[in-house]
Amino acid sequence: MPKVLMKGNEAIAEAAIRAGCLNYFAYPITPQSEVAEYLCWRMPEVNGVFLQGESEVAVAYMIFGAAGAGVRVFTTSSSPGISLMSEGISYLCGAELPAVFVNIMRGGPGLGGILPSQADYLQATKGIGHGDCRLLVMAPASVQEAAEMVMQAFPLAEKYRNPVMILGDGLIGQMMEPVEFPDHLRSEPSNKDSWASNGMDHRKSKTRNLVRSLYLNATLLNDHNMDLRAKYERMKAEEVRYEDYNTDGDYQALIVSYGTMSRVCKTAVNTLKEQGIEVGLIRPQTLFPFPEAAIRQAARKESCRAVLSVEMSMGQMVEDVERSVRGARPVQWYGKCGGEVPTPEEIIEVVTATLASDDSRR
Amino acid sequence: MPTDIDLNGIVIIVGNYGSGKTEVAINLAVAQRTARHRVRVADLDLVNPYFRTREARRSLETLGIEMILPPEGWLQADLPILMPQVAGLIRDPGDLALLDVGGDHVGARVLSALAEAFDAANRAIQMLQVVNPFRPNTDTVAACLDMRAAIEAASRQTVTGWIGNAHMMDETLPDHIGQGYALMRDLADASGLPLVCMTAAEALLPQIAHLAMDCPVLTIRRQLVPPWKKPEPLHPVV
Repeated sequence: MPKVLMKGNEAIAEAAIRAGCLNYFAYPITPQSEVAEYLCWRMPEVNGVFLQGESEVAVAYMIFGAAGAGVRVFTTSSSPGISLMSEGISYLCGAELPAVFVNIMRGGPGLGGILPSQADYLQATKGIGHGDCRLLVMAPASVQEAAEMVMQAFPLAEKYRNPVMILGDGLIGQMMEPVEFPDHLRSEPSNKDSWASNGMDHRKSKTRNLVRSLYLNATLLNDHNMDLRAKYERMKAEEVRYEDYNTDGDYQALIVSYGTMSRVCKTAVNTLKEQGIEVGLIRPQTLFPFPEAAIRQAARKESCRAVLSVEMSMGQMVEDVERSVRGARPVQWYGKCGGEVPTPEEIIEVVTATLASDDSRR
Repeated sequence: MPTDIDLNGIVIIVGNYGSGKTEVAINLAVAQRTARHRVRVADLDLVNPYFRTREARRSLETLGIEMILPPEGWLQADLPILMPQVAGLIRDPGDLALLDVGGDHVGARVLSALAEAFDAANRAIQMLQVVNPFRPNTDTVAACLDMRAAIEAASRQTVTGWIGNAHMMDETLPDHIGQGYALMRDLADASGLPLVCMTAAEALLPQIAHLAMDCPVLTIRRQLVPPWKKPEPLHPVV
C-alpha cells in the first residue's frame, strides 16, 4: 500500500484494524477524539464493532469483557479518561487479560488543558492501578512509529497476557506525517485458548478458563503476585527498546528524552554539533521496561560529564534516569508541561549552562 | 503557467479534515495582501484542537493581516467559540475576507449558523474546497464530490472552485504534485467548477515547471510546524 498522509490519531485507528483488532470501545476526549471519529466509519467497513461507552469506567469493563472472550480489543483516551479507566486496568492485569490502551496525553492535573504533555509518565509506568500491576508501555515519536507500535502491541499483550499501553503526547495524535501500512497482519490471538472464556466447545483444549482477579486464599494470591512479578521481570529481559543518536563518538553530555520531545532534542543536538559541542541522545521507545542498562552505559562514557532528562512533565522520567545512572554522573531535569513545549533554543541553553557548571566538571 | 490568483470579497476555505485548509488560507492571505488590498482572516475552525490559524496570528498580524479570533485567554479552550464579529465581517467583507473553516461537513456546519449574515452580504461569496489526494477518502473524483455534497449540505453554501493541495509534508516530490494535478483536472471537468490554483512549497517550484500546469500555483511557506521546526519566513507586503 502506498504512503498516505495521516494524523497520528487516524494512523493509530487504522493500525489497530491492520493488526486484526475489530473491537473498539471508547469515550471521546481531546486530543484523541479523531481515533473514535475515524473508527465510526472505518469499523463498519471491516465488520468490526465501535461502541461508545457512557464513561471511561464503562469502557474499561467493555474491554475486560471482550478480552475475556478472547478477541483483540483496544481503546484510546487522554489523561483524565485514563485515570477513570485505572480500576479496570488493574482488573485486567489481575485476570491476566490482553488489551491495548492508548493514552494521548494532555496537560494536567485535573481537567488541565488540551495541549500536549508527558505528565502521565509515572502513572503509566508505575501507578496505573491499585495492586502490584504493571503495563508494558511504548512511546512513539512519529506517526509511523505510533502505527507500528499499535500493531506490535496486540501480539505483545497476548504474549504476556497483560495490557499494553501506547503513551503519546498530544502532538503524536494531532500532527500529520506520511505513513505506510503493511497489507495484512495476523488477525487473531494465537494463544487465546489459554485464557479465553468463550465456551469449551470452541476450544481445542478442554480445560475450563475462568476470568477472575479475586483470590480468597492468601497463599494462592501470593503465588499469583509472584507469577505476575516474574512476568514483569521477563518484560524487562526481553522487551527493552530504545534509539540512540549521536552516541558513537565522544560526547560531553547525554540527553534522555522520549516521544515528540526527543525530536526537539534532536534539533538541539544537531545545532550544538554545528557549534562544536557533542551531545548524545537516548530515546526510550519502551518506558516500562526502561532502558536502564543502555542509559547507564552511555552515561559512563569517559567523555560524558552530565546527563539531562528532558520531558514535558515536572520531572518524572528523571527518576528512572537517576536510577539508571546510579550516581555515576550528575543527572538534571529540564521540562515544561501543560501546553508549552521546550524549544531547541532552551535545550541548547540548558546543555551549555550545565556543561559550564562546577557540578559537571571533573 | 497562468498568472496570479485574484480573490475579492468573501472567500470561504473548506475541505476535508487535514486537507491543508489552514496552511492554504494563511498563504492565500499573505499572497493577496498588498499595501492597497486589505485582508482579514477569520478562524472558524471549531473542531480542530491543534494546528489552527490562530497559531500563525503573530506573523500574519505583522504583515497587516487582520485576524478575527476568540479572545486570547480562550484560544485553547476546548469549546466551539464563534465570534460575533464574524457576522459583521461577512456583511461587509471589504477587499477580502478569508474564512478558514474546520474540516469535513462537521467543521463546515458553522457556516449554516451564519446564513443570515451571508444573505445580507454586499459582495459575492466564493467557497473553495481544498483537496489533498494523499489524505484518506479524497483520492478519487467520486470521493471528492461526495465530500463536496456533504459540505454543501451542512454549510448551506455552494462550492465554487477547487484548490489542489497535493503534498506529503517533507516527503513531497514533484511527482506527487503531478499526480494531484491530474486528479484536480478530472475533478474540475467532472464538476464544471474551476481549478483556482495548485499549491507547492517554495523549494519545489523549480522542479514542477515541467508539469506545465494550466492554473496558478500558490507558494506555500509552511507556518504550522511542530516545535522542532521553524515556520518559513513570510514575504513582506509589497
